[in-house]
Amino acid sequence: MRSLSPQVVLSFMKKEFRQLSRTRAMLFLVFGAPLIQVLILGFAVTNEVKHVKLYIEDRDNSALSRTLQQSFSSTDRFNLIDNPDNIKATDLINDWKTQVVLTIPPGFGKDLTLYRKPALQVMVDGLDGNSAAVALSYVQGIIATFIKSELTDTRKYPPDAIFIKAMPAQVEIQDRMWYNLDLNSPQYIVPGLVVILVTIISMMVSAMSLVKEKEIGTLEQLMVTPVRKSELLLGKLIPYWLISLFEISFVMTAAHFIFRIHFAGNIFTMGLLAAVYLLTTLGLGILVSTATSTQQQAMFFAWFLMVFMLLLSGFFVPVRNMPISIQYLTLLNPMRYFMNIAREVIIKGNELKYLWNEALALFVYGFAIFSISVAKFRKVTK
Amino acid sequence: MPDNSKSLMIQTTDLTKRFGRFTAVDKLNLSIEKGEIFGFLGANGAGKTTAIRMLCGLLKPTSGTAVVADCDITHQSEQLKTRIGYMSQRFALYEDLTVKENVLFYSGIYQVETSRALSVAEELLSEMGIDLGSKALTSSLPLGFKQRLALTCSLLHDPRLLFLDEPTSGVDPQARRAFWNVINRLAEKGKTVIVTTHFMDEAEYCHRVVIMQEGKAIALGEPAVLKNEHSVPNMQQLFLKLVS
Repeated sequence: MRSLSPQVVLSFMKKEFRQLSRTRAMLFLVFGAPLIQVLILGFAVTNEVKHVKLYIEDRDNSALSRTLQQSFSSTDRFNLIDNPDNIKATDLINDWKTQVVLTIPPGFGKDLTLYRKPALQVMVDGLDGNSAAVALSYVQGIIATFIKSELTDTRKYPPDAIFIKAMPAQVEIQDRMWYNLDLNSPQYIVPGLVVILVTIISMMVSAMSLVKEKEIGTLEQLMVTPVRKSELLLGKLIPYWLISLFEISFVMTAAHFIFRIHFAGNIFTMGLLAAVYLLTTLGLGILVSTATSTQQQAMFFAWFLMVFMLLLSGFFVPVRNMPISIQYLTLLNPMRYFMNIAREVIIKGNELKYLWNEALALFVYGFAIFSISVAKFRKVTK
Repeated sequence: MPDNSKSLMIQTTDLTKRFGRFTAVDKLNLSIEKGEIFGFLGANGAGKTTAIRMLCGLLKPTSGTAVVADCDITHQSEQLKTRIGYMSQRFALYEDLTVKENVLFYSGIYQVETSRALSVAEELLSEMGIDLGSKALTSSLPLGFKQRLALTCSLLHDPRLLFLDEPTSGVDPQARRAFWNVINRLAEKGKTVIVTTHFMDEAEYCHRVVIMQEGKAIALGEPAVLKNEHSVPNMQQLFLKLVS
């Protein structure tokens, strides 16, 4: 058997580029769509909890309870809502009128001035557990600050005011977040989004490429030529690989200007690892392409794979929060590694030497997937 | 075994293909000489295309052997592919490429020198008035042009054997006539041409034909001889008589 010919691979590459440049829908899919998606999703997908609807049921109506109310109205975390019709608190939550209800019992102000231990009730709509927990911690924080300031400003610490002991009077925590100082949500979300978009598009495009030729009959024509399987598959893979690399840079640059994403790491490290990662997604696309016979089937398979990759990538749910068995499963997911890499490099500015494990895993997967595609692809039908 | 095996382009021995319990080609024995225009006739599903696909090395036979262009189709299928040209009824061209780009692509994968490929293409295309330098995409060409272009692309590497699977389906009579003229000229130059067709008038142009039914060869020979044997005026009636 003759060796792999660069001339043949090059012929395929030229052909693919020419075809791509003439298909408007493809051009849009590759360049327009990701830009629009990153724009919309970058703003929409956020893990910040802001403007939570809060109803304060003030049964005390004292000077202190009103001051407490003011602490809530002076932050953008909460939107205070009115209840002129005096609807029951639980009904307000059921009716989606409010997400949090804070009940100040009668005698709250008095108890506080008398150093007794007043109680407050907080009710949170736990439908979205994550937001609920965050909102609850905001409430606790505001109340703690309120009590602390009320007590430190106006009176000495009385020995029997038990709740004060919970306050760290001597040790004061001054927190400073590293890598994402002002907890800018897009800074965290957008790199992940770019990973997702590039995965989807590279996989779709390569899954379609070969199966499309099956449909129009050109693949059969290629099978009667002396072209080698690896030449054919490389000729398909390399153009889409170059395009996807360009696409990553393009979307990242756009994100930098739109969302003020700070690129902390080395761009070449990112480029190198992206290049290795794309081998796995394009390889999977080609594998899907060899295993299916129509574009519809290929599309279906590609989606199936992608949903799994997405859910197990750590984009929505951090991998360490998953059950142990599922965590092992994520080791099979190339996207998980690249999600990690993208965040480490872009947000933290991590260096290549700390990312060897991920890089190696991606490289092995890419190589294995491509080899399986070549092996699975048959020129002669049995 | 005939002693003229040196001049044989194709020789099959009990060539058989089964798909599950369905026998598509049943013990086909053929000897096709160099320079012959040989026709496979038969209704749809008679096994013509399956037979051709085996002879091209696209499909593995279930049993039996065949030697095509001095290559064993089971063990030397890759070598075989450098020696044959193949054109299917679907005219496997890239519709979003221009004529020249199609030619360049196929010459690239056959590793034929560009200048040589272009001169072969020029010669085959100019008489039909197809301009190699045209910017028009293949999708905009009439079917007859596409057929000619597909033929051209399968001839770029100068194969000694050409397989045409229903090459004239859907093409108008004038283009069909022109196409057969080209096929005749190729045969005169010493190329062997294997054609499948269900146009019985085209069968008259073949040097020899085999008529297939349910995977079996039910008649084999020169059209004139076959017509005489069964005392029918044309191939159409011969076919109907044999098949019914």
